[in-house]
Amino acid sequence: MDKHKEQRGRDFSRRDFVKAAAVASFAGASARLTSKLYAAGSDVLKVGLIGCGGRGTGAATQALMGVDKSVRLWAMADLFRNQLDASYDMLSKGAKGRYDRVDFDSLADQMDVPEQRRFVGFDAYQKLLASGVDTVILATPPHFRPEHFEAAVKAGKHVFMEKPVAVDPAGVKRIIATAQVAKQKGLSVVAGTQRRHQLHYIEVIKRIHDGAIGEILAAQCYWNNGGPWCLTAEKPAGVSDMEWQCRNWYWFCWLCGDHIVEQHVHNIDIMNWALGSHPVQCMGMGGRQARVGGNIWDHFAIEFEYPGGVRVLSMCRQIPGCSDRVSERIVGTKGFAYIDGATGFIKGENAYEGPASPNPYVQEHVDLIRSIRQGVALNEGIQVAESTMAAIIGRMSAYTGRALKWDWAMNASKLDLSPAKYAFGDLPVAPVPIPGKTPLI
Amino acid sequence: MNGNTNSKRHGLTRRDFIRTSAAAGAVALASGKANLFAAGSDTIRVGIIGCGGQGTRDLVSCVKSSPGVQIAAMGDLFEDRLKQSLEKLNTDVPAAVKVTPDKCFVGFDACKRVVQSDVHVVFLTTPPHWRAEHFQAAVEAGKHVFMEKPGGVDPKGIRSVIRTAELAQQKRLSVVAGTQRRHSKKYQEIIKRIHDGQIGEIVAGQGYWNGGDMLGYWKWYDKEGRSDMEWQCRSWPWFTWTSGDHIVEQHVHNLDVLNWALQAHPVQCMGMGGRAVRTLGNIYDHFAVEYEYPNGVRVSSLCRQINGCTDRIAERVVGTKGVADVDQGVIAGEKPFKYDGPDPDHYVQEMADLIKSIRDGSPINEGKNVAESTMNAVIGRMSAYTGRALKWDWAMNASKLDLTPPKYEWGDLPPETEQVAVPGKTQLT
Repeated sequence: MDKHKEQRGRDFSRRDFVKAAAVASFAGASARLTSKLYAAGSDVLKVGLIGCGGRGTGAATQALMGVDKSVRLWAMADLFRNQLDASYDMLSKGAKGRYDRVDFDSLADQMDVPEQRRFVGFDAYQKLLASGVDTVILATPPHFRPEHFEAAVKAGKHVFMEKPVAVDPAGVKRIIATAQVAKQKGLSVVAGTQRRHQLHYIEVIKRIHDGAIGEILAAQCYWNNGGPWCLTAEKPAGVSDMEWQCRNWYWFCWLCGDHIVEQHVHNIDIMNWALGSHPVQCMGMGGRQARVGGNIWDHFAIEFEYPGGVRVLSMCRQIPGCSDRVSERIVGTKGFAYIDGATGFIKGENAYEGPASPNPYVQEHVDLIRSIRQGVALNEGIQVAESTMAAIIGRMSAYTGRALKWDWAMNASKLDLSPAKYAFGDLPVAPVPIPGKTPLI
Repeated sequence: MNGNTNSKRHGLTRRDFIRTSAAAGAVALASGKANLFAAGSDTIRVGIIGCGGQGTRDLVSCVKSSPGVQIAAMGDLFEDRLKQSLEKLNTDVPAAVKVTPDKCFVGFDACKRVVQSDVHVVFLTTPPHWRAEHFQAAVEAGKHVFMEKPGGVDPKGIRSVIRTAELAQQKRLSVVAGTQRRHSKKYQEIIKRIHDGQIGEIVAGQGYWNGGDMLGYWKWYDKEGRSDMEWQCRSWPWFTWTSGDHIVEQHVHNLDVLNWALQAHPVQCMGMGGRAVRTLGNIYDHFAVEYEYPNGVRVSSLCRQINGCTDRIAERVVGTKGVADVDQGVIAGEKPFKYDGPDPDHYVQEMADLIKSIRDGSPINEGKNVAESTMNAVIGRMSAYTGRALKWDWAMNASKLDLTPPKYEWGDLPPETEQVAVPGKTQLT
């Protein structure tokens, strides 16, 4: 391998050299084989897309456009045929940009998805994994992530998986166990917490870790804005509960984890990253004051306590017509850091202005593909699992009204939101939680 | 004032002055009122407007706090509430009850009649909605005041309380508020150390009042068989116009400690909240508000009234050199400290401080403090109800919010008194 490239690969991992070396040695034969395959940067990398919604389609464009034309969309899977077709159509024709991607023209020259590699249904992911792909994008509703991640890693695939990676402690534990297997296998795992790939975040957080704001004393993170696409308020006649809920997955806790997990995980992830730890305990509150339909809430406020008694405030809201704020702030003995999607800076003894960043939704795929080609596995599985878990314990605390500890949730909680079976049939909508009544499980 | 007043601040008590003939003339110059109570034994006659549970307890605390306190006039909106209060007083502090039937006043004008009675001090312990009006009436009548927190329910009322507090200052009247933590030795010792820089520069803080539902300690009266006005006034804790919502009515205690510790009021806030469980009245059952103080210090406030949840009532201040758990009386960090001295009952202490200030002719005036702490809570509520971040200065100067009903009479009230706020729809006014 080209020495220069190898070094760059380690830079990209943003892990210290020892860790990178350790990963490489654990990676063993399969990693070296992988790296040989792609060392020249010209071999075709076959990507499978599991979950062909808006974000999955966006992630596919970024995987295809991020590095070079040797990346191919090789197979597609979704629960619903029309979702898959719409995604295929968009990728092959081009589309206008949106929050997570630029305008793009047809990507047909990088698509090789014949009918026999288009898979639909609850087991579509299994068929896709057996279709000859090298790497997969896991972009279904979060509920399915643990199962899909486990199967992908078992099948020896590199993984890009959207955040969040689970909706309950049972799912988080599966992700962590699978991330460890991926590590042993030398597989790359990149998560859709794209701030970790955003230059001004990287530079500001690096300085925090180097002590630029001193010892961390407090922090705040927010995702307050209008909320996502709308629910089809009434279940159409002739559609099963399962289909209706899966198509409107954002609105049901078992599928999306509620918005604190589905969306605010981004900001909580920054807290974990900046503080170098997950929280120890939390106390949360929330409710739904404006939202109608489904069973998720529309606002949460959580106080997370990190090691050393550092209390961190997390606020998230999805209500149109309110003041928006999506950002993170970290306060230390020598100053504070502020970061959001556009800027990052430090004020205080070591003032710093962060750089402009390339599109992080592209960068995360660039980093993933390079790590695969260079044979130095990136593995973000555990970090995204921990950020997801932080959001989940926040939700559990708010739903029940009970303060709770990370260790209890990780080791003793029995919460598992899985339905009895995955079939298009009856599935009553779980009631909206009531603090003080909803039990802590 | 004169030099004698100044020297009192340096440690001499009023009693010390009385014992010296040289100072006697100065006392008279300082204030006629001071002269009245110079011997420390003259009777102080108290009138009360608002004879509910808290008002009655406040009277008992006051009588117990100091010798020579008599209850001389009582007023309430409802006769039955006044009678219950009188019964309780006759049981708990019978010797102090000097209320004759002609000094018992019932109805919307009861306050006017109480402040016109021959009393030195008026206790303002009605639902918060009436505080501003009653405070003004009491101070204009030249009465010293004990007023329960909060000091209002809307910016209009708070502006009035601030103006009246200034008038009280000019008139050298004492104004003590029911933010009794200010009279706690434990709190005072911790806050003093914070002000002395023992936790360094303050960079964050937290205030909490997470407890159970009010049905545990207040009575809900059903609407049936009552006019809207009677129903809502009797069930006042559950209506925003009467109570200000629980962030104002209750959590103001913790916000007051944060203002005290930070020696400022917030510059702006962003809040959220709702009612996840509550079905009575129109108030919320939880709020989370982030307050930004001068220099960008962000303070979080959490309050909840839901049974079966984890409770926490506390105040915490984080500095560059340490952390103060104010409610615990503990400072951790470079200069650790734990207050383990006596901490007399704050509710009695605030009364002792009030009566002493009157007798000493050395007025305490907490009017502005409690008005500002109330305003914290009010802007937090306004932000949560509307979903809009907002600035203190805007709320103080430009907000038109006025929760006063069209008229005070036994009849219908506008439907909005029963409507629950919906963020993003409820307008910021």
